[in-house]
Amino acid sequence: GFTQVSRCSKMAERPEDLNLPNAVITRIIKEALPDGVNISKEARSAISRAASVFVLYATSCANNFAVKGKRKTLNAGDVLSAMEEMEFQRFIAPLKESLEVYRREQKGKKEARKDKDKKADSEEQDKSREEENDDDDERMEEEEQNDDEEVDN
Amino acid sequence: MAAAAAEPGVGAAPPAEEPGSGSLCAAPLRLARLPLARVKALVKADPDVSLASQEAVFVLARATELFVETIAKDAYVYAQQGKRKTLQRKDLDNAIEAIDEFAFLEGEFLVGLILSIHCLHIHRIIEYQGWKGP
Repeated sequence: GFTQVSRCSKMAERPEDLNLPNAVITRIIKEALPDGVNISKEARSAISRAASVFVLYATSCANNFAVKGKRKTLNAGDVLSAMEEMEFQRFIAPLKESLEVYRREQKGKKEARKDKDKKADSEEQDKSREEENDDDDERMEEEEQNDDEEVDN
Repeated sequence: MAAAAAEPGVGAAPPAEEPGSGSLCAAPLRLARLPLARVKALVKADPDVSLASQEAVFVLARATELFVETIAKDAYVYAQQGKRKTLQRKDLDNAIEAIDEFAFLEGEFLVGLILSIHCLHIHRIIEYQGWKGP
C-alpha cells in the first residue's frame, strides 16, 4: 500500500498545493445556493476536500480512457468520458459548451499573440515571447494542433 | 454581465456570451473560476498520468465547479429539512450517503482510490475518516 511512496516523484508537493482555493470554493457554493444561506466553515472545508477528491477520481477515470485509446495524452474527450462513467452525465452538455467557448478564447489569444509577435519582431527580437508568460501558464508556444502539455512525472 | 443567480442549475447553459467578444473580451463567463494551475497540480499527482492537454485541465476545472454547485445544492436540501439557513457538515454527510453519484466520497472507496494513486500526501489532505463522522 503506502510503501509505494517511492514511485511518486511528486513528493515535493506540499499538501496545501493540492487544495483548491477557499475563496473560489466559497463563492461557487454561495452562487449555487439561495441568497441569505450561509455555510459553516466545516461544511465549506468538507466540500473543498470533496472537490479535490473529485479531480483525482476524474483524472484517474479519464486516464483509463486515454490508456484504452493507446494515447499518452489525456484529452478533453477523456474527461467527458470520465463524467459519463462517474454518472455525472448531466455535466456533459454544459461542459461541451464551456469547452467551445474556451477554444474560441484560446484561439483569439493565439492570434493576438501572433500579431503582437509580428510587430515586435520588426522592432526587437525575442522580447515579446517572455512578457505574457505568467498571465497564462498553460499556454503552449507551438503551432501544433493539440494543446499538449507535459505533466512531469 | 448576466447574473449567475438566475442560472437554474447544473443542466443550464452558461450565460450568453457578449456580442462581438472576439479575442479582446477574455473575461470568463462564470463569476467563480477555479485556477487551472491548482487543478493541474492535482492531475500531476497521479503517477499514471504522463501528459494532460490544456483542454483536459480546463474541462476538469469546469467539471469540478459543477460538482461543487451540485453537492452544495444537494446538501442544502437537508439543511432545509432541518429548517436551517446554514449549511452544515452533517448536511454534506447526509447527501453523500443518500446520493449514488457521491459514493466515491465514502470511506472504502477513498481508501481504494488513495492506494491506487500511491501518494501518501494526498491521503493527508483527504482525511477520509472524517466522512463517517465522529
